[in-house]
Amino acid sequence: MEEKIYRNSLNFVPVDVAKGIDRSTGKRVNADDIDPNYERMPKCMHCKNFTLNEEKIGLGICSMMGKEHLAYPDMAAITCEGYDEK
Amino acid sequence: MAKSFKEMLAESGQELEFQSGGKAPDKLTPREIIWEAHPRIEKLKEIYMDSLSSTNNEFPYWYTREYFQHDNEIPVIRRAKALKTAFSHLTPLIYPGELMTMRKGSFFRASFPMPWLSEGFYMANESSFYQEALKRGSASVDEHSEFGQGGGNVPKSFGKVMSIAGKFGMRQEEIPVLLELAKKWEGKSVDDLGNKYERMVPDYDVKEAIMRSVVCMFDSGFTLPQGREVANYYYPLEYGFEGIKKIAREKKSEVAGKADGDGMVGMNRLYNYEAVIIAIEGVQKWINNYAEHATWLAAREKDATQKKEYQDIAERLFWIEKNQPRTFIEAFQMIETIHLAILNEDAISGLSAGRIGQVLYPWFEQDIEAGRITEDEVLELLEQDRLIKTSIDCFASVGVVGGVLSGNTFNTLSVGGVNKHGKTAVNKLEYLIVKAGGTNAMPQSNIALHYDETLPDDFLALAADVIKTGCGYPAFMNNDIAEQFMINHYGHEGMTIEEARSWAIGGCLETSPSCWKPLHLNGKEYFIPGGAGQPTSVGVHFIAMPKVLELVLFNGVDKRSGIKVFEPHNKKLETFAELFEQFKAYWEKAVDVLALTNNIQHDVWRKNNMAVFQSLTKPDCLDSGHLINELGYRYNATFNVESAGNVTCINTLAALKKLVYDDKKYTFEEMQDAIENNFGFKTAHEIGKFSLMDQEKKDDATKKYDKMHFECLNAPKYGNDDFYADEILLDWENWFCEHSETIESLYAEPMYSCQISVSTHGAMGSATLATFDGRLQGTTFADASLSAYPGTDKNGPFALMNSAAIWDHSMSQNSQLNIKVHPSAIKGPEGSKKLIELVRGYMRKGGFHVQFNIVDSKVLKDAQANPQNYRDLMVRVAGFTQYWVEIGKQVQDELIARTEYESV
Ligand code: SF4
Repeated sequence: MEEKIYRNSLNFVPVDVAKGIDRSTGKRVNADDIDPNYERMPKCMHCKNFTLNEEKIGLGICSMMGKEHLAYPDMAAITCEGYDEK
Repeated sequence: MAKSFKEMLAESGQELEFQSGGKAPDKLTPREIIWEAHPRIEKLKEIYMDSLSSTNNEFPYWYTREYFQHDNEIPVIRRAKALKTAFSHLTPLIYPGELMTMRKGSFFRASFPMPWLSEGFYMANESSFYQEALKRGSASVDEHSEFGQGGGNVPKSFGKVMSIAGKFGMRQEEIPVLLELAKKWEGKSVDDLGNKYERMVPDYDVKEAIMRSVVCMFDSGFTLPQGREVANYYYPLEYGFEGIKKIAREKKSEVAGKADGDGMVGMNRLYNYEAVIIAIEGVQKWINNYAEHATWLAAREKDATQKKEYQDIAERLFWIEKNQPRTFIEAFQMIETIHLAILNEDAISGLSAGRIGQVLYPWFEQDIEAGRITEDEVLELLEQDRLIKTSIDCFASVGVVGGVLSGNTFNTLSVGGVNKHGKTAVNKLEYLIVKAGGTNAMPQSNIALHYDETLPDDFLALAADVIKTGCGYPAFMNNDIAEQFMINHYGHEGMTIEEARSWAIGGCLETSPSCWKPLHLNGKEYFIPGGAGQPTSVGVHFIAMPKVLELVLFNGVDKRSGIKVFEPHNKKLETFAELFEQFKAYWEKAVDVLALTNNIQHDVWRKNNMAVFQSLTKPDCLDSGHLINELGYRYNATFNVESAGNVTCINTLAALKKLVYDDKKYTFEEMQDAIENNFGFKTAHEIGKFSLMDQEKKDDATKKYDKMHFECLNAPKYGNDDFYADEILLDWENWFCEHSETIESLYAEPMYSCQISVSTHGAMGSATLATFDGRLQGTTFADASLSAYPGTDKNGPFALMNSAAIWDHSMSQNSQLNIKVHPSAIKGPEGSKKLIELVRGYMRKGGFHVQFNIVDSKVLKDAQANPQNYRDLMVRVAGFTQYWVEIGKQVQDELIARTEYESV
């Protein structure tokens, strides 16, 4: 289930690991709160190249261009040239 | 109820003068001058004040992923490719309202781990490498170090945020990958590889014992391998990044396949130039990503002013990604970008921006003349620069970041001094730089004012006003002494008097070699200064002098831990001369083994982790084709031997000389007994307070040691213009500075002495028994290298300065004197004049550095009790300014205890 929270949203300007700014309202918000204006931020977890490791929490595999690399679901993928949204 | 030291003093009618030259007013005295920053900056500052030091794995993930795809590639190429991939993938983050942008990572205060340097300290405790690190002492110092519990520090985990090393917050979602990345570097990091080879040094076990007993505070090669140096922005400012790539491509054709008489590394030039191109491409992509992000933001923005600002940011970034900057703001953005790029390349504290008032002057002059910018707009940018620099964090262990640096990253700016021709260098832009230090008073950038007799009076008056805002800067450094040091130490590498004039402070207080380069803008030529030397404060890190002396008194054994550190000397130490000689012998042993082992660590660093991006910015790498690791920098004799606890040690020697040797009041055994029993007191750790005044007698203590303790406290002390104590300082300095020059660095260059304490006087005092000057176990040493021990400088500031200037400061890279003055002592324009006269007096005596804390001790006490009311209170610690709430209790206690001058 997609967590529609600020830290997963393009509507969020992170200040630190716990909080940030809601881009549309300019208000300070907690990173883990639900974002009413949620806009999916590219992250590995949404990429077709990503396979979640079912045994080890927080880890997975990126198989971009046929090669396998360690990856993690939470990584921002705005700058990843291989990001291919599911 | 146990008696406190303060009560004992009162009962006995004795006094330590914590107020000198009068009595402070009873009422709390606020700062005399309070200025404000531009509204936009105040708004951004609010975000800063509410932000936590935050870290994630983006950079280390991409670096590691790329690095391990290139087994067997030429090391410099492999490194450059990993850097390029990491830079290219950093997520851009721009805040509304900022004029200049880019940051280390995607938080306001972002930093990230570099497991290729050291992975041990954040590895799971069960890791064998972590256990090894504990054994070899790398982690011992962490026990004696602490961060402040407030401000932006994350001392404890909360919610979904994990605390790392007591300072940084990382999302729990990122912890599994952090550990996976760390595992990949096990046995391969500079820390692990370095340790594998340093074990081959004879007497390696002495080094381990030194680290475990905290005689030395932290290794050099894998902690902060670069820094304490001056950045050089010249090449990108002159040629633009495309221009540098063009030069590198042409050079590649020139050198491909040629050794040109250098059979060792001549051929490497080809790979080095290729690596330079790769690294620049990474940084260009990083800039481009920010430009694209600004474009995206502009497209979505509804507010017309903000939209235009995003568009302007984008335009500037697209331009400087490739070209020489055209305007002041483009040039400023470019140097911010270069600065951050250098910091992202390695674990660095103390990358000083240097003399940016000279570097940016060409654009300032031409933009002002053409009406493209106003002085007020420049001031606003300078204020934002302070915010950018204060937001820079450096990710390292508790011992390093907390115990040594107090979280500070030392991006110092230098102003004043002289130009290429020896005339005052002060210009209008430098006035604005100093002014911004007051209007946006934040810990960074610390301002180093190069004092020269030719400086204009109104420039010094402005500096005094800024000091009165309570920010702890500008600090005053003696330009003549620094030039003399440059010639003395770098003369054999070609340093001339003209070049010496370009010096600047790197880090908090490190006199760093620089050079002039001709910059061309719209047909006009300007000579701008910039760093031309390797990192300083590398090599042999902080050796606690009082701890070495303690080992002399106890025949080589650390009584606190029971560790045998040095071979027993088995001498009776019947004369003071014999004691002093043995002190030097143990010092030599410590320096010798630390130099050899740290040389190996740095050598491992240079083989796989060399600076590629920073190298291309430093003369003369681009010309020679050799990077930092192949002596490509113009000045390479920058490694040093650092001392700590100087004044506490001198006072202890003076007390021993007086009471044990000259007056024979106490036998050697009686003195040992008193020290081992902490003069009948509890330890500072037992009571959790670290200044002498707050110490408590043991519950069952007799009065056995009281008389001796008072006599120790009353023995001659440094800082009173008393030759008895000062002569010992003079003898020590003459020997220490000369001895340091006999030590050879891995670059086959002589080292020199470095005398700054940073925050080590807290952590190292914590691991040291009582000292015979009357200081008690676990309490801090005197701060800096020439500050008096709190309460012992009874004859006023001029006497203190006479003591400090008894030796030739140009023999050492630095010396450090901090003075605490009550705000009422320098009130009004008359007070400012007195302050400047005090500085002038010290400089004329040959002092190198002096700095002032203008604060009421009562404010500090209140701030310790009510930290929530003092988020923005700043204090001067050793060579830097830091927020009160972000420094540890040891140093806070010492700051409160420092002698406060009520008049000057
Ligand atoms: S291609 Fe990029 S976004 Fe997709 S899984 Fe791999 S690293 Fe993540």
